[in-house]
Amino acid sequence: MSRKTADVIVIGGGIIGAATGYYLARQKLKVIILEKDFPCAGSTGRCIGGIRAQFSHDLTIRVMLLSIKLFQSLSDELGEDIEWYAGGYLFLAFDEARKEAFLQAIDIQRKYGLNVQFISADDCRQIVPDLNTEGLLGGAWCPTDGQANPFNVTFGYLCGLKQQGSQVLINHQVVKIKVIKNRVVSVVTANGDEFFAPVVLNAAGPWAAEVAKFVGIDLPVQPDRHEALVTEGIERCLEPMLVDYRSDGCYFVQHYKTGHFLGCYTPVPIIPGYRLDASDEFITEMPRRMSRIMPKLTTVKVLRQWAGSYEMSPDGNPICGTTPINGFYVSAGMSGHGFMFGPALGKLMAELIITGKSTIDLTEFRFGRTFAKAEIMK
Amino acid sequence: MGDHHSIRKQKKTGSIKNKRAIVCRCEEITEEEIRNAIRTGYHSLEEIKRVLRPGMGHCGGKGCLQIIANLIQEETHISVAKQKFPKSRPPIKPIPIGILGSYRR
Repeated sequence: MSRKTADVIVIGGGIIGAATGYYLARQKLKVIILEKDFPCAGSTGRCIGGIRAQFSHDLTIRVMLLSIKLFQSLSDELGEDIEWYAGGYLFLAFDEARKEAFLQAIDIQRKYGLNVQFISADDCRQIVPDLNTEGLLGGAWCPTDGQANPFNVTFGYLCGLKQQGSQVLINHQVVKIKVIKNRVVSVVTANGDEFFAPVVLNAAGPWAAEVAKFVGIDLPVQPDRHEALVTEGIERCLEPMLVDYRSDGCYFVQHYKTGHFLGCYTPVPIIPGYRLDASDEFITEMPRRMSRIMPKLTTVKVLRQWAGSYEMSPDGNPICGTTPINGFYVSAGMSGHGFMFGPALGKLMAELIITGKSTIDLTEFRFGRTFAKAEIMK
Repeated sequence: MGDHHSIRKQKKTGSIKNKRAIVCRCEEITEEEIRNAIRTGYHSLEEIKRVLRPGMGHCGGKGCLQIIANLIQEETHISVAKQKFPKSRPPIKPIPIGILGSYRR
């Protein structure tokens, strides 16, 4: 049993905790990250690494433009190749309603200077020569979206944070948060250690609601089960992330260096809960869906399948900022976009914690908001 | 198997006798790289897997994870028995997308 102090305690060693911790440490704050398992063990290490600014919500687009800017220079900044590659994102429209939704989103995205357009099925095939365009009306195409490696980004941020003298403690599960006179005082872990800090950030991803309960707050974040797979590496034949939003669609990308294909789909209906076993349904259904869009893939071998949690908020947007408990902050409810939001929300949350406001106002993502308009480009 | 044997017998010292011995054949990761990762402070198979990618290739760690566990034991005195092994992921062998997908038609 030991007693330690810090300026900020971050609960969660995924991308959100790592990035926020890094930007705080860079401003000379002493940070302790408490991770219950190991870095990336939750949602971050299970995502397929897509990064895009093609969203339908103004604030999300602005946050992602900042994130992409940070991703572009992150390898140099962290001294770790994060495998950022701007291969673009191509969202496929197989019906008029989807096309209309994309066109509306493009209008919003262009307000912020995003280079995005709706292109014909033939133009889609120019970008992806092996694409099956049967029934395809066209696609929303943004060449500045891309991919990066979630492990490298997270471990890179954590190394950077440690170089600043801050700490990352793995196998430290938080079991209690002490609050006195409505202000956080300390965090207790399962091994009996107690960590004192005036600021505690809840970056616990799919477990964020459980962590919030320690201070008596109801945080509307719940895990949804998703599955993913990776194939062997083959010669490059797919530049962008391909997104097929049909109810039996899927999304996948080819790693720009290794040639592996990484893909997943959102089950309909969604599957709430923490179950992370691999299903027979996914390992047969996902290959069917992938080879329908790119018939060339039938000979490519699947190496592994796994499951992970989307940590869903009611409107599909993050919940970031202060809470009714003084000193207790939250950055959770990433709804499947935590990895791509990570750098920007990390930087903005660090600003918010240090100065009380952030260069991009996150008020719309505040805790306690009413959840109305849903993100259409989920 | 000769290489594996010599890795196990190595003492915990600063020098690495067999620097270029391949520990993970699928991802081509050497003993030196693994030992350096352990000495950097990554004392678990799960972390080393994510930092260097051993066990993420074709065989899924069947060849290398036990060797890495031994290296961790040598470098840190955390016994192999106390180490948590990463979950093995299906399929056991790589299978073509066309064959897997045919089960749904």
